[in-house]
Amino acid sequence: MTRAAVFVALAVFAWLVWDTGADPVRLARGVPWMLDFFRRMLPPDLRVLPAALQGAVTTVEIALLGTATAAVLALPLGFLSARNVAPRSFFYPARAVLNFFRSVDTLVYALVFVAAVGLGPFPGVLAVVAYTTTSLAKLYGEAVEGIDPGPVDAITAAGATPLQILRFGVLPQVLPLFLSYVLYRLETNIRAATVLGFVGAGGIGFYLQTYLRMIDYPAASTVLLVTVAMVMLIDAISSRLRDRLV
Amino acid sequence: MIEVLGLRVVRPPATVALHQVDLAVRQGEFVVVLGRSGAGKTTFLRALNRLVEPTAGSVRVAGRLVTGAGAVELREIRRQIGMVFQQFNLVKRAPVIENVLAGRLGYVRPVASVLGRFPAADRELARACLAQVGLAHLADRRADTLSGGEQQRVAIARALAQRPAVILADEPTASLDPALTSSIMDILRTINQEHGLTLVVSQHQLETALAYASRIVGFRRGRVAFDGPPASVTPSVVREIYGE
Repeated sequence: MTRAAVFVALAVFAWLVWDTGADPVRLARGVPWMLDFFRRMLPPDLRVLPAALQGAVTTVEIALLGTATAAVLALPLGFLSARNVAPRSFFYPARAVLNFFRSVDTLVYALVFVAAVGLGPFPGVLAVVAYTTTSLAKLYGEAVEGIDPGPVDAITAAGATPLQILRFGVLPQVLPLFLSYVLYRLETNIRAATVLGFVGAGGIGFYLQTYLRMIDYPAASTVLLVTVAMVMLIDAISSRLRDRLV
Repeated sequence: MIEVLGLRVVRPPATVALHQVDLAVRQGEFVVVLGRSGAGKTTFLRALNRLVEPTAGSVRVAGRLVTGAGAVELREIRRQIGMVFQQFNLVKRAPVIENVLAGRLGYVRPVASVLGRFPAADRELARACLAQVGLAHLADRRADTLSGGEQQRVAIARALAQRPAVILADEPTASLDPALTSSIMDILRTINQEHGLTLVVSQHQLETALAYASRIVGFRRGRVAFDGPPASVTPSVVREIYGE
C-alpha cells in the first residue's frame, strides 16, 4: 500500500518535471546571468529614494485602508458562515459565496478594478478589500465555530436576544482572534500590495516595474531595498501587536 | 412552581435521554437530582428552560408554559429561571461585574445593552448580587483570574441578578475541589431559605445531596426511579438509583 503510494507520488513528480520543463542544467546556465543582474543593480541609485519612499507610503496606505474596510465588511459574512450561530438557510449560501470569491487572488481583482475605475491607488484598495473580506470572513467563521458553547448557554438561559447572545456570549471570545487575523492579513496585504503597481493599481510596485522596464537597475534596487525595509517594519510592528492580543 | 408532564427527550438520531418524566416541584423546595452519569439529570435540567428542546410533554414554570412558547415569551420565562453550570460558563476574558450584568440581559433594552449601556439600577443590582456571594471586592477583575470556587460564586450571582423564581444548578460542585463543595452548597441553601427561591440541583455526591436537599429525585436510565425526602433514602433506594 505505502509502496504503491510512493511509486504513484514519484511518477506524478516525474511527469510534473517533464511537463513544466524543469531543468537543473538550464538553471545552472542561468546563474551567470543572475549574477550579472545583481552586479548591475549595485550600487543602488539613491537619487530615486524620495520617489521610492513615496511609493512605499502609498502601498502601506492601500494595505491599511483595504484591510480595515475588509475587517468590518467581513464581520456579518463571518458570523453567517459559522455553523454554530448562522441559520441553516444562510450558512450554505454564505460558504459558497466565500469560496467563490476567495479563489481569485488580489492581483486578479486589481486587473478588474483598474479596468473599471482607472489607474491609481483606488483600484488597489478595492482589490485588497475584495480578496481580504472573503478570506477574513472565512477565518472569522472558523473562530466563531471554535468557541466554548458554555457562555452562550448561560447568556441564552438568562433570556437574552440572539443579538445580545452574539455580543455577550460570542464576541468576547472571538474578538482577540479577529484582531490577530486582521493584523496577519495586514502583513500579507502589504506584500500583495507591492505588486499591485505592476498592473497600474498604485504604490511602490509601479516604480519597480518602471525602472526595470527602463533597464535602470540601480534605481530598481533602491526600490527593492525600500520594499524589503517596509515589509520588515510592518511585520515587526504587527507581530508585536499580535503577541499582546493572545 | 415547576410542573413537568410526560416529558420526553430524544436526541437525534434515536437516543432516548428522557422517557416519560412527571414531576411537580412546589415553591421553596430544595430538590436534589441524583443519578449516574447518563441517567438524564443534565438533559432534564436543560429541558426545563429549553436549552434542550423536549420531544414531547409539557413544562410549566412559575405558572407559564415553557413548552410551545414563542421566542419572545420564552425569553420572558427564561428570565425567571436562573441557571448555574458545572463549568461555570463565565465569559473568561470579561470582568466579573460584566458577567453578573449578563443576568440582566433579559430585562434591559436590547440595543442599548449591545452598545454596553446598562441602567444604573441594573448595575447596582449586579453589585448587590456579587456582594451576596461575598465577592464584591473582585468586581473589576477578569473572570479567568479567579479560582474555580470564586468563578462558580460569580455564576450564582449572575443567576441571582435575573431575580429568578427558580434556580437550576447542573452539578455545580463537580468541577471543584471537594473542600469547596460545602461553600457552594451553603450559598445555595441560603438563597433557598432566606429568599424562598425554588432550587433544582443535580449532584453526584450522595452525602452532599442528603445533607442539603428537602427532596431527592433519583434518575435512572431517563426515568424517575425515586422521589421522596432524604430521610427515606435507604440503601435499597441507593441501589435502585445507582445499581447495575
